[in-house]
Amino acid sequence: MEEELPPPQSDLSSPNPSSSIDTTLQKKHQAMLDRLSNRHQSRQKTATTPTTIDSTASFLFKFTESKRSIESLLNNSPNTPDPTLLKSHLANISSSISSLEKLVAESSYFLPPYELRSSLKCIENLKQSLENLNSQLLPKKKFSFKNKSTSKPNPGNLNTNPIAPNPSHIPQSIRDSPGIRNKESQTLSKNFKNFKEIGEFTLSDLDSCEVKLIGCINALFVNKLRNCRVYTGPVIGSILLEEVENCVFVLASHQIRIHNAKGCDFYLRVRSRPIIEDCGGVRFAPYCLRYVGIEEDLTEAGLEEENESWGNVDDFKWLRAVKSPNWSVLEESGRIGCVEIEGSGSIETEVEIEKV
Amino acid sequence: MGLLSIIRKIKRKEKEMRILMVGLDNSGKTTIVLKINGEDTSVISPTLGFNIKTISYQKYTLNIWDVGGQRTIRSYWRNYFEQTDGLVWVVDSSDLRRLDDCKMELDNLLKEERLSGASLLIFANKQDIKGALTPEEIAKVLNLESMDKTRHWKIVGCSAYTGEGLLEGFDWLVQDIASRIYMLD
Ligand SMILES: Nc1nc2c(ncn2[C@@H]2O[C@H](COP(=O)(O)OP(=O)(O)O)[C@@H](O)[C@H]2O)c(=O)[nH]1
Ligand SMILES: [Mg+2]
Repeated sequence: MEEELPPPQSDLSSPNPSSSIDTTLQKKHQAMLDRLSNRHQSRQKTATTPTTIDSTASFLFKFTESKRSIESLLNNSPNTPDPTLLKSHLANISSSISSLEKLVAESSYFLPPYELRSSLKCIENLKQSLENLNSQLLPKKKFSFKNKSTSKPNPGNLNTNPIAPNPSHIPQSIRDSPGIRNKESQTLSKNFKNFKEIGEFTLSDLDSCEVKLIGCINALFVNKLRNCRVYTGPVIGSILLEEVENCVFVLASHQIRIHNAKGCDFYLRVRSRPIIEDCGGVRFAPYCLRYVGIEEDLTEAGLEEENESWGNVDDFKWLRAVKSPNWSVLEESGRIGCVEIEGSGSIETEVEIEKV
Repeated sequence: MGLLSIIRKIKRKEKEMRILMVGLDNSGKTTIVLKINGEDTSVISPTLGFNIKTISYQKYTLNIWDVGGQRTIRSYWRNYFEQTDGLVWVVDSSDLRRLDDCKMELDNLLKEERLSGASLLIFANKQDIKGALTPEEIAKVLNLESMDKTRHWKIVGCSAYTGEGLLEGFDWLVQDIASRIYMLD
């Protein structure tokens, strides 16, 4: 279950669809710094350890020194078949890694998230190298790390019931949430206006459909869509999208999380920073939907203001200070312009207006 | 070698409890922590990494670690396990599709030796959403009844929006931890 971290970006001038790459980068970078300093301040309020930029710098210095010396130990094993010598060499490295881990732990109170995560990742890597070296030098493995994050959960320990649930079985056996599922080449619309109680809604397994949701809902789950266009009124809580490809989404919500999206355009109004994870070729632009009464819906959802968050995308798979290559801002010339949709009049049921 | 054990030794004061908030992303962990702390919950960005809050609750000081839940960093959860007194597992009761994912992650978490002594509170959050599963239904899906008998656990339905259920849950958790670790006072 080891998670792959993104490879370092080696070439900053790699092709980027955005014309003003420098300013975008600078803006992103500034935003990042602002964010870190905000976090920094909010942490100062709550953390019990004094927090200074100095301590981060001195942490990084110590960390780098120690990492270097561990790496040199790893690369310079004694050239001897004597197992006692080899073992003490390996034990030595192991204890150095432990100290380094301790250093990270002690510093975790004040480290910015990026530094913390990259340090942890680095420790994982050192442990892995040690593990490799260990099996190479002492094929009969006399010791190993218990805490490697790559280690699989130990089956049959503590818990007696089976771990693997029947994936598709569980939710169904309880009940299904309201939604639109398994459709191809259709125009689907649903009007939630005048609903007394609104809840969550699901769009899943749609291919080549146009979907229009009018009115407010509490939460939206979008799963497995291909070649679709989706237009929605405001979602009061959050939207979670997984496995979408080649789609256009026009969405408004407090939070938007996008997992495994490929080649999609997102036109968003969102209160917080949109999150992407495991995405590629996704582009972002501001929300641009109109239907009769959308203003009052946006106000009801607290989304009447455009705060420009649509362009402040966080890529949780991209830990570097330079902008993630996985997303970009959709140039104005390439945007679809304002989309006007109509309430189809139907309130209770989903209507299939036409075959496309 | 456990991460954080050393700071814990330095930091552990009397009446202090360390509580770890975990669960899938989007379940409402950050919102719950802010709500409990009386902070504004209207704009919350998804958590990258973690937030730490120190909250006074009754006569205790709670150190609440709110850890990001997205897949990329679930493998890092283990770095926060050391010296955890209480675990809060938050479920989005309206997210039916990911319940199996939720069950799997919880099962994995409970296998962690370092968490074996921790009291477990399960929040069936987002009860305000129409169509959300009830705490009883969540308990059934997560198969809580078959949990290790030595574990202290409780499931509480709640809404981080309305605040309903939050105090009930935290009251239980804090009392349960207190009766275990401060018994000798
Ligand atoms: N309707 C409703 N939405 C909630 C509730 N708790 C959290 N949310 C929303 O769910 C989304 C995810 O919340 P967040 O606290 O960021 O989740 P986390 O990833 O677990 O920290 C946000 O849009 C919240 O506003 C709740 O009790 N009811
Ligand atoms: Mg969070």
